[in-house]
Amino acid sequence: MGTTASQLPKELLSEYQELTFLTKQEILLAHKRFSELAGKEDRHHPNPRVPMSKILMLPELKSNPFRERICQVFSTSDVKDGSLSFEDFLDLLSAFSDSATLEIKSHYAFRIFDFDDDGTLDSSDLEKLVNCLTGDTDDTRLTAEEMRQLISNILEESDIDKDGTVNLSEFQHVISRSPDFVSSFKIVL
Amino acid sequence: MRRSIYAGHGTWRNFGNLGLTEDEIEEEVENETVQLVRELVELPSRACRQRIRGLPMNFNERRNIRSQVFSAKLSKKSRLPTCCTDFSEQASRSFRRFGAGLVTARRFLVIWQNTLKEIGGTFGTSVLSYFQFLKWLLMFNVFSLLINFCFITLPQIIHAPNITHATGFRGLELLTGVGYFNQTVFFYGGYDGEVIETPPPYNMQLAYFFTMAAYFLLCGISLIYSMAKSFQTNFVLHSASVSGGAWRLLCSWDFSVVNEKAVQHNKNNLCVQLKESLSERIQRRAVLSLSERMENVARHLLSWLISVLLAVGCCAAVYFLLQDQVVSNISQDPDNLVTEASTLAVPVVVSLINLVVPLLFSLISRVDQRSNPRTKIYINILRNVLLKMSILGILCHHWMTDVPTSVSCWESYVGQSVYRLVIVDFIFSLFGSFFGEFLRNIIGTKLIPSLGVPEFDIATNVLDLINAQTLAWIGIYFSPLLPVIQFIKLFLIFYLKKVSLSMNCQVPRQSGRAAQMQTVYIALLFFPSYVGALSLVAYTVWSLKPSELCGPFQGLSRPFQAVQDWADTVQAIPGSQWISWIFYNVIKNELFFYLLTLIVLVLTYFIWQVAQGRKQLIRTLREQIANEGKDKAFLLNKLQSTQKQRRPSGISISQDVSTVPSFTQNWMNTFPLDM
Repeated sequence: MGTTASQLPKELLSEYQELTFLTKQEILLAHKRFSELAGKEDRHHPNPRVPMSKILMLPELKSNPFRERICQVFSTSDVKDGSLSFEDFLDLLSAFSDSATLEIKSHYAFRIFDFDDDGTLDSSDLEKLVNCLTGDTDDTRLTAEEMRQLISNILEESDIDKDGTVNLSEFQHVISRSPDFVSSFKIVL
Repeated sequence: MRRSIYAGHGTWRNFGNLGLTEDEIEEEVENETVQLVRELVELPSRACRQRIRGLPMNFNERRNIRSQVFSAKLSKKSRLPTCCTDFSEQASRSFRRFGAGLVTARRFLVIWQNTLKEIGGTFGTSVLSYFQFLKWLLMFNVFSLLINFCFITLPQIIHAPNITHATGFRGLELLTGVGYFNQTVFFYGGYDGEVIETPPPYNMQLAYFFTMAAYFLLCGISLIYSMAKSFQTNFVLHSASVSGGAWRLLCSWDFSVVNEKAVQHNKNNLCVQLKESLSERIQRRAVLSLSERMENVARHLLSWLISVLLAVGCCAAVYFLLQDQVVSNISQDPDNLVTEASTLAVPVVVSLINLVVPLLFSLISRVDQRSNPRTKIYINILRNVLLKMSILGILCHHWMTDVPTSVSCWESYVGQSVYRLVIVDFIFSLFGSFFGEFLRNIIGTKLIPSLGVPEFDIATNVLDLINAQTLAWIGIYFSPLLPVIQFIKLFLIFYLKKVSLSMNCQVPRQSGRAAQMQTVYIALLFFPSYVGALSLVAYTVWSLKPSELCGPFQGLSRPFQAVQDWADTVQAIPGSQWISWIFYNVIKNELFFYLLTLIVLVLTYFIWQVAQGRKQLIRTLREQIANEGKDKAFLLNKLQSTQKQRRPSGISISQDVSTVPSFTQNWMNTFPLDM
């Protein structure tokens, strides 16, 4: 741990602590894992970005059905390739940490589920979401009729203002009634 | 309006659809940022920090906001320089650093961090909750072990190692607790009530009493606290239930599961659950006929009748066994190995009942069809709790009425009985996981493949833990070092269950509602378990005559008299009259308890009224949201029709609409509800 601590300047570390929900240990561990991913060639670069393909090799994300969406949501890259800088990586871990607030968690869950990035969950987003959750094999996939029924059920339950889509407020309203969400929306290194 | 800047880059594209230029969007965002910074500057620094941390923006944006807030604060402060704010700032900073240090230290103390992560990663949150509950109980026992050892056992050992071994060590003692262990500090009989004269004098009687009282008090406070907290987060927020669970299923994906196989398993489960919920929805529309309803009621009644009869039968068996044992105990020679082994009959029977009858109950619940799986789980839990608590009730009744009159050092006898129950229960739970889950796995995979791999039954396992903890609480007065056994037991069960889980079991299919079940378990641990144990110990201390030949309270008419005598002696010392005043006017005064109860009742009533008011408010607000949604749709339609009227040719508009199909529906959503 001593070697990793020396790599992160003290004031940077305290800034990270202040701006994220992570503890000092978690930040140091994140830094260690991130440096391993970044590899040797980028080490001298002041602010290296790790491509999405490498991030997805983390065991914590490897089998997650939303792994690519997670990278895209947390990435601040200008070319939208899902690559993460260390600060993006900390953002990711902070949102998925134990101490993050319900508001942060539901906000990022909403953005992860919003596949076309248009700020609402419409029926095509919901269809992709269900497909992600049930898997792509033929025996688990829902039939078109079932899918239609399911999506109309979902909208009926959660679309309060009846505009055919679920927006962030409505999504947060649903989340607030699902007490397991906070404990299950969690990724720990 | 503020939310739109949080919603990310995606929304800006939609503003583009509205015909806003890049500059206008940027200006809008800039305005909002300024507004936000102004808001944040007004907040006290701690709240401000938390707000910034909780802003759903990316790191650099948060950093930017923070530096803006910081500089705004600095410029504000330079106008009003006071040493007071400076000092408070510094104090709060050092306090914060101290808090962060505490959190870090706690992280180090947390045991099984990686193991728990591994379990959560393979089996999901609902199974993890069982292990967390186990860990929580373990902490209780470590705590009680520490205080009992420090305040009772250690002084006794230092003062007089009062051990007279009547018999040598034979091995059977590990199971029965008699013989070699009889006169050790493990049991009540190993202590004596003398005042240790080394300065300062140490009164064993008072130490014994106050340690027990403090332990039960702290347990009660911590139970009530965790119960209230988890009730608040898991039930109160949930109070408005919705008709279907389809949507909840979608947001219940367990992100902490990392194992490839487990992820696949979860996907399959979720798929099955979604399909079930769909078919249920269709079924629900079909109303049950009268004869079907009658049949259902008959099934419920029959299953309850059978389970109550089973429970009563088990209680009767235990009762007659106990009666039989008292007679045989008195008549026979205590040093006989066979007699010693025969004391194991009761614990074995009780543990056997606890192992077999829940299986019968789960068979019965298959007959007893309920449409709601949660009702089914709750009913099963209720039956198990009834059985376990009534058996414990019979045992306690025996210990409190028959034993004190017939056994010379009866507290030690009770302590040994509890010890035997704890040990045998442990052995049975070992065998239960090995033979139960292992054999079931073999049968399910090799012999009858239709049964499949057994599911890990969280409810039964948690109830076993609660039962064991009740025993530990009952026994703590009669055997102060019982937490040692409980600690070892829980520690081993943790690893055993982990191995058995990964070798033999699969994840339970109905995994939802883990958080609410956790609340139910804590409530069960509080209500029949803790309250029962506490009232039993309180009854012993307040009303039963302690044995005359052994133990710290020998020679007194009841253990509580030790405190009364102490209050009398303290009265003679000048300056300490307040202790005896408190004793006579508070603890021994009925009026005080009467008033206390009255105040608690009144407070409860007020809080209940407030809760009712809030419920009403929530209902009204929800109606308001629905109405506003209707207004929005209405206005949207109106706007469109006005636009059409204005440009009746409308070629350019219709082209626009066709190129941007999401226009009519989606653009309103970029504005939040609280617009």
